Amino acid sequence: MDLRDSPEEHRLRLDVREWLAGIASSMPVPPALDDEAGWRRHDTTWQRMLFDAGYAGIDWPVEFGGVGAAPAEHLVFLEELSRANAPAIGVNFVGQLHAGPTLMVEGTQKQREEHLPAILRGNEIWCQGFSEPEAGSDLAGLRTRAVRDGDDYVVTGQKIWTSYAAMAQWCILAARVGEGTRHEGITMFVVPMDSPGITVRPIRSMLGAHHLNEVFFDDVLAAPAALLGEVGGGWSVIRTALAHERVGIARYARCERLLSALGAALAPHWGDLPASLHTQWARALVQVRVARLLAYRTVHAQATGEVPDVAASAARIAVTQCDQAVAEVLFDAVGHESLDAGAHAPLHGAIEDHWRYAQAATVASGTIEVQRMIVSKALLAGGRV
Amino acid sequence: MNPLLPDEALELRATAAKAFAALGGVDLARSAEDDPTVRAKEVAPVLAELGLDDLDPWADPVALAAAAAVCEAAGRVALPYPVAGFLVRDADGRPTAVVPNDLARVDHGDLFEQWRVVRADGAASVVAATGPALGSRLGPFVADLHVLDDSVAPAHLDALLHLTLSAWSVLGTVDRAVELAVEHVNGRVQFGKPIASFQAVQFQLADSAVAVAGLRELAGFTLWRLGADPDRARPDVLALRLHALEVARSVLRTCQQLHGAAGVCDEYDISVLTRMVQPALRLPWSTERTATALADAIRVDGFDGLFPHAQAAS
Repeated sequence: MDLRDSPEEHRLRLDVREWLAGIASSMPVPPALDDEAGWRRHDTTWQRMLFDAGYAGIDWPVEFGGVGAAPAEHLVFLEELSRANAPAIGVNFVGQLHAGPTLMVEGTQKQREEHLPAILRGNEIWCQGFSEPEAGSDLAGLRTRAVRDGDDYVVTGQKIWTSYAAMAQWCILAARVGEGTRHEGITMFVVPMDSPGITVRPIRSMLGAHHLNEVFFDDVLAAPAALLGEVGGGWSVIRTALAHERVGIARYARCERLLSALGAALAPHWGDLPASLHTQWARALVQVRVARLLAYRTVHAQATGEVPDVAASAARIAVTQCDQAVAEVLFDAVGHESLDAGAHAPLHGAIEDHWRYAQAATVASGTIEVQRMIVSKALLAGGRV
Repeated sequence: MNPLLPDEALELRATAAKAFAALGGVDLARSAEDDPTVRAKEVAPVLAELGLDDLDPWADPVALAAAAAVCEAAGRVALPYPVAGFLVRDADGRPTAVVPNDLARVDHGDLFEQWRVVRADGAASVVAATGPALGSRLGPFVADLHVLDDSVAPAHLDALLHLTLSAWSVLGTVDRAVELAVEHVNGRVQFGKPIASFQAVQFQLADSAVAVAGLRELAGFTLWRLGADPDRARPDVLALRLHALEVARSVLRTCQQLHGAAGVCDEYDISVLTRMVQPALRLPWSTERTATALADAIRVDGFDGLFPHAQAAS
């Protein structure tokens, strides 16, 4: 066992750290919580900076314009971004983690050429039209229909919990062609969000900046060129789209950064804190370490060619629970100041922001219950976790 | 980054598991309660055959991993022998145990003529059993010891090694507990179907298995830290002990619960495992005392990770 960085990982870590130190003063400044246009500008400016520095698509294959980093190198990169308190992936999330990787596998040459470079440059924001009011964790129950009309398809239905839909130019959309049930007929499309018949309604949430939306499709026309993969082959496309996301976010690194920063800020008064908070703090650090190690285990398995579905679910369970546990410890430590927000709040609002986002950690991108179903199914069939 | 144990350690673990199974597995713990002499008569020769008499965990990373792997195998069957202590010997061949500051109480303390015991501050003594083992349901082989010689060199690092190897033994116990629970819920039929088909059961098992997987990674990480940088590994070792205790408390509780009434019956391995692991969970320090020691250690020494965590400098 040796958990040190490999020489390649170490070099990448130092390179990224040096680059981030050099641009520290020119990093985009976070706008106010509800400044939607400001966030869009902030996140896409950052994506462009990553692109210009050669780090955009760190985990994307070189042939698609990415850096081609190994899974462990990807984690190193994310850890260093977190260390430097660099902007989060934000509005580029769906393009980078879902739409882009799916287009690489399922897209036509024309679709790839049109979208992949634009995603990497921060010129295209994507949203994901998967969840529906009646189809959340049970995505195969989706009801949005795509009806053949000549060569085209006419899409009707409703999507919900669609992140960044109000800012997105493109949607990777799951709809059903034909009268089938469950996985039958599910078909993927790439649809421009300015298509006539699309209405976006923001959902006010504790996540801020119209992160979540409802999207209504009323007789939206989708040309044959909008098909992503085969008609009726959407279920495997969805699996491709979601597989990239499981470990893609080094949440544990943000947790550890906040514990470190608040610990330093509280150091002069550390002895005044309740003793039980000292031990809760220690437990939080252990929990963060365990989550990090489970993420490392998963990327190591990926690197050796395994498809670590169960390990990835285990890591996700650990890291999302860690997110919430750390959020509570941090809030306990700052006490009444946890109610403040923005620049005047502890750590310039980072703790308050973390707590709000942590509330959705065990739901977003596949609920913790779905992860438990994956783990227990393997376990009861004689597998190991 | 390579989070795997070396092959030599995995091979020794497999060999040890076979040897312990040949001794009767958990049945050996049952019989040792009736006749404690089986520890010296039956277990000791098998450990010698496995090469443990000559295994020095400090020799190199492979030896350290091998020691941990044997402790894990022992924990899986509640082997009635202080394997961790036996692997951490002083210059005169005495086994080592970490003890609470005000008391020398050691699992299997009656098994050897002398022990070297180490307190939290690293101070060491040579001790011997005061009387017979407790013979209680939760500490059948636990014995109190009295000091023979206090003029012994401090042994900080051996104390860390003993705590680490003990945690590996706990890992073996909880890993096996989840396996036993899986076997039980797959076989136990109620309401016309295996209770494994109930989601309340499935989710408890999933959480337990994830907890054990996390403990395994932490145990591996700590072993690596202890080998690579022992002088700075105290917070890491305390973190492993704390986590092992917390995982054991929650996983064993769940696995007993999923066994129903069988969970407290010694006919079932889960009950014996749960009883026999108690000394490792209560000695030398219980959960909250370990958590306090960890918080203090982090404040002084920090905690290896992506960011600094010590507060004492301020």
